[in-house]
Amino acid sequence: MMNGLFSKLLRMTVLASKQLIRHRVRTLLTLLGVASGMFLFTTVQTMQRSLDKSTKLQASDTTLVVYRENRFCPETSRLPEFYLDEIARIDGVREVIPVKIAVSNCGASLDVITFRGVPADRLSNYAPEMKLVDGSFEAWRARDDGALVGKELAAKRGLKPGDAFEAVGVRVVVSGIVDSPLPQDNSVAYVHLPFIQQASKHGLGVVTQFNVRVNDGADLDAVSNLIDDRFRSETEPTSTQPEKAFFAQTARELIDLISFTRWIGLGAVLAVLGLIGNAVLLVVRGRVKENAILQTIGFPGVAVAYLVVCEGALLGFGGSLLGVGLASLFLKLRGLSFGNEGQVMALLPDASVLLSGMGLALVLGMVASLVPAWTAMRRPIVESLRS
Amino acid sequence: MNENNNVLIRCHELTKNYKKGNRLVTPLEKLDLEVKRGEFLALMGPSGSGKTTLLNLIAGIDQPSEGVLEVCGEDIGKLSRSKLARWRAAHVGYIFQLYHLVPVLTAFENVELPLLLSNMSRRDRRERVEHTLSLVGLDGRMHHYPKELSGGQEQRVAIARALVASPELLVADEPTGDLDREAADSVLQLLHQLVEEYDKTIVMVTHDPRAAERAGRLLHLEKGRLLETEAG
Ligand SMILES: Nc1ncnc2c1ncn2[C@@H]1O[C@H](COP(=O)(O)OP(=O)(O)OP(=O)(O)O)[C@@H](O)[C@H]1O
Ligand SMILES: [Mg+2]
Repeated sequence: MMNGLFSKLLRMTVLASKQLIRHRVRTLLTLLGVASGMFLFTTVQTMQRSLDKSTKLQASDTTLVVYRENRFCPETSRLPEFYLDEIARIDGVREVIPVKIAVSNCGASLDVITFRGVPADRLSNYAPEMKLVDGSFEAWRARDDGALVGKELAAKRGLKPGDAFEAVGVRVVVSGIVDSPLPQDNSVAYVHLPFIQQASKHGLGVVTQFNVRVNDGADLDAVSNLIDDRFRSETEPTSTQPEKAFFAQTARELIDLISFTRWIGLGAVLAVLGLIGNAVLLVVRGRVKENAILQTIGFPGVAVAYLVVCEGALLGFGGSLLGVGLASLFLKLRGLSFGNEGQVMALLPDASVLLSGMGLALVLGMVASLVPAWTAMRRPIVESLRS
Repeated sequence: MNENNNVLIRCHELTKNYKKGNRLVTPLEKLDLEVKRGEFLALMGPSGSGKTTLLNLIAGIDQPSEGVLEVCGEDIGKLSRSKLARWRAAHVGYIFQLYHLVPVLTAFENVELPLLLSNMSRRDRRERVEHTLSLVGLDGRMHHYPKELSGGQEQRVAIARALVASPELLVADEPTGDLDREAADSVLQLLHQLVEEYDKTIVMVTHDPRAAERAGRLLHLEKGRLLETEAG
């Protein structure tokens, strides 16, 4: 029984797709429009999603950033490297690493290279979750100018071990490619701390920030207060925040900009809705007689309505397949990343964005064809035949 | 009893009104008619006399305003929309003057349409469609689109579509109205054959006296009433 219903629905779906395939030009034009809308939607969603991932604090987050108080750019945040031992002694701190940041562009930019100078012997303790996907850690330790490059940066620049590249006035050689579950780590290059200190005009002993791992995500606030209290009366006081809050604060303009794109995404959705609605409406208008014939030969009204909804859904789904696919290809190939004051956010579509895009387009297609389907189904047969 | 069983269509005081603005049009008024199983009935009459209206009522795509309408043992004046659709699928095939094939479907696919909502398997459907198309003499044109067929061939496809679900009743509204004489003759020949050899009952509206001659019985409709009955 269910089986029978299912195969009938399948036959109706095949019939609807024949209508689409054999009205090729009209279908292609509609698909193109839907695809453009969904391309836009996917890009915008990817931005929102990447932003969320970089700024929304989760219970599992355990990273604090210790910055110079009232400074917002890596160029101006200077802290003495010897704070390291002091911070390490504070209760709740699991691991701490001094970081000297060199960034190609301090303002908001679409294309930044960020170097993080860290002590080689501390990195693996500090970031055990970081995995080497190519090259070797030993090779990095052995080379003064070696770099461990995050996989997204590597993909964007087409870097592999052995390659040399230059940015921010320093030239480094790729020793390995790393992959980390923390989005920040995949868009930067790790280099040796003394190497980057010597390359900068501040010299040895000065770092930009300390990155701190606490034992428990619940301690984030308490530990950051302890750290700031410890250095309050020093000549270089600190300001400590969770890494994502730090990003959210420094990248406020970026966030405003990206939040605004929400409206573009909404506009794209409405455009897709209107486009499919219009296409299906025209189809139904042009097929008044045909639908009456189908009913005359025994199709119930719901079958005719199903055919109409099916065409809308197929248009939505096909167009989104095209648009979402192109958008993810584009984002992968272009490897866009937003950088702001040393913080980087890679724009990579994830499965949830892609799936929700396709699901949404399917639903949009159906919703847009509900009214035309209802008209097609309710119109008296004889009236349609006389028209 | 026996005689009753032989009656396929029974209209009693059948009336149909349409509202046109605030005016009431009555294309059919208190019409009485009985059609027996296996009859080939031709309906003639001037334009606007209600022929198509009567045909639509008999075929279950329109509903009477008043009166009794029994077709194929069912009081179809009282069926719901969905039941009526199911009834149509099982009992009646409709042939139009302008064929009304679905342009994006091949001859085969057009004829298969009425079977798509049945429980027949793909193989059974194919066999049935091929058989029906060969019955109307189109086995060589199965995969042609309507625009690749002549008018006469299109009408044969339409007849195959009306036949394929094996309904006992066929209704045809000026089936030869758009055909040249030769094509018309062969379509009429085919309809005649369906009555003689396949026990179909046909109600055909026509303006063409030559077509009417083919039928076993001829009725004239004038202003919504049956005027005279002649033996064919
Ligand atoms: N759906 C409708 N709404 C309003 N009036 C209608 C409708 N259907 C038929 N009529 C009217 O009923 C009358 C009979 O129409 P019908 O189509 O049955 O005539 P006919 O005999 O088939 O004519 P023709 O030979 O021109 O096809 C006409 O006056 C027509 O205008
Ligand atoms: Mg007519």
